[in-house]
Amino acid sequence: MQIYLPIAEMPVNIFLILFLGLATGFLAGMFGIGGGFLATPFLIFIGIPSSVAVATSTNQIISASISGLLVHLRKGAVDIRIGGLLIFGGFIGSLFGVIIFRMLENIGQIDISIALIYVIFLGAIGIAMASDSFKIILEKKYNISWNKKSKLLWLINKIEKLPCKSYFPKSEITISIFVPIFISIGIGILVSLIGIGGGFLMIPAMLYILKMPSSLVVGTSLFQIVFIASNATLLQAITNHNVDIILSSLMIFSSAIGAQFGTRVGYKMDADIMRSFLAILLILICTKMLFSLFSEPQDLYKVEVLK
Amino acid sequence: MRIIALLKTISILINSRILILIGLLFFVCKTNCYANPIISGISSNEINIDTQFKGSRILLFGAKRDAGDIIIVVRGPKKSFLITKKEKIFGVWHNGERIRFEDSYSFYSLFSTSTNANTISDNLLYDFEIGKNFLKFNSFDKSSKKTKNDFKLQLIDQLEKKDLYLDKSYEINFLDETLFKVFLDFPKNIIRGTYLIEIYLIKDDNILSFQSIPIYVNQVGISAKISDFAKDQDFLYGLGAVILALLVGWIINYLFIKFIGK
Repeated sequence: MQIYLPIAEMPVNIFLILFLGLATGFLAGMFGIGGGFLATPFLIFIGIPSSVAVATSTNQIISASISGLLVHLRKGAVDIRIGGLLIFGGFIGSLFGVIIFRMLENIGQIDISIALIYVIFLGAIGIAMASDSFKIILEKKYNISWNKKSKLLWLINKIEKLPCKSYFPKSEITISIFVPIFISIGIGILVSLIGIGGGFLMIPAMLYILKMPSSLVVGTSLFQIVFIASNATLLQAITNHNVDIILSSLMIFSSAIGAQFGTRVGYKMDADIMRSFLAILLILICTKMLFSLFSEPQDLYKVEVLK
Repeated sequence: MRIIALLKTISILINSRILILIGLLFFVCKTNCYANPIISGISSNEINIDTQFKGSRILLFGAKRDAGDIIIVVRGPKKSFLITKKEKIFGVWHNGERIRFEDSYSFYSLFSTSTNANTISDNLLYDFEIGKNFLKFNSFDKSSKKTKNDFKLQLIDQLEKKDLYLDKSYEINFLDETLFKVFLDFPKNIIRGTYLIEIYLIKDDNILSFQSIPIYVNQVGISAKISDFAKDQDFLYGLGAVILALLVGWIINYLFIKFIGK
């Protein structure tokens, strides 16, 4: 069954979009990521103009995230104070990101920049997370102890010297308020560069840099994504007029359902196993991006219609 | 016929196709030595894009009262195109040279009773932009002529793949010696705007008759309301999109708790 999209100016198959929403919603609820990194490339793949795909994904992310967030809120698994600081930094970061995006777009290198950022960050984080969670799983199972010397020691030393230390009772950590703000500025820049919610970057940052307990990480990540994605949707609607509400409605509906299932599955799963699943997912996407960088494109020429 | 040739040369100097057409119409009206040798009509001059739009087909029919070849051209609204060539550096593919073509047809289809090349000169085809090889793709970029031509061919190729450029020589059906009909196909991915059907009767490298019929491609119903609202009330539209997402997320969550459990 086909439906015509008024902003993308083309028809799509309803069931295909509903299924895509369901899948991204499931991932969102389970891992605390928005699922934009999955939805955006897929929408582009089925022929939606990339600007519409990016803008519409941000709208869809809101519903998947709020749906998952409410479940976590009910279980008290959200650190609102840290989340608030992350939102503050995220807003600043996305402003810088938009400026850098325009610059790269003007010199025509936005595509390769996006692909490289994806490969570098996904690869590094994926591998680090995978090795870390496998170690923990093995440790639990066979009682093997590993030499736990953190490779980020210099970074953690620096972080401890930062001023304005504050205690966050929910997560039971004491850190400088600048740490979450700096992290989210950095992620905010990347988010507006690659057009996704940034959950897959935020989760590892919360775990390894902020050292938040893994039970709070998913909920807090979803909490900040709701705000970042709302802000992004509004900005896209005002500046570029490319949020397609028919397309996003279909995805909003199905991803909210998907998120409910995802959250429930996530709670039943062991945190370490879940973390290793996310790591594998990141590595898979990274490998796919890496291949696309080196493989010959189907069309040597790319055609864009300008407004 | 000489007057047409004269008008043609004048217009080449000014490089304006429209002037020729105006001149031609003026000529036809003024001399009135014969009735218009081609009359035609279409089944509809409106294409309405609603949420169920899957493309559209319009029937063009007409009668030819004089010898010559019929050429029918459909031109879509003009848009600018940016074509980027992928290049390889150290095995990595990235965006290389880019060329921007200004004001080119977003849709172009051609039907004819002849192979063009036999009876009609390239000059005439070029002046009236008849046939995809004779379309003017203007670019202000500083690339070489050869590069621009390569990029142009690629653009046409990709538009053909999307069914936006169609070349259907010999596809005009004659019901008898004078009556003909053509089905004009508009694919599902056409953009909104005014499309122009042009019907030429050409004999011995001269245009005997010319007729132009507009087709209006509009969005209607909810589809049109949405796209207008998105542009006119962008803030409210964006806010609506955000609230809708929050509301749906919240309602689904509520329904799940109620019927499926925590």
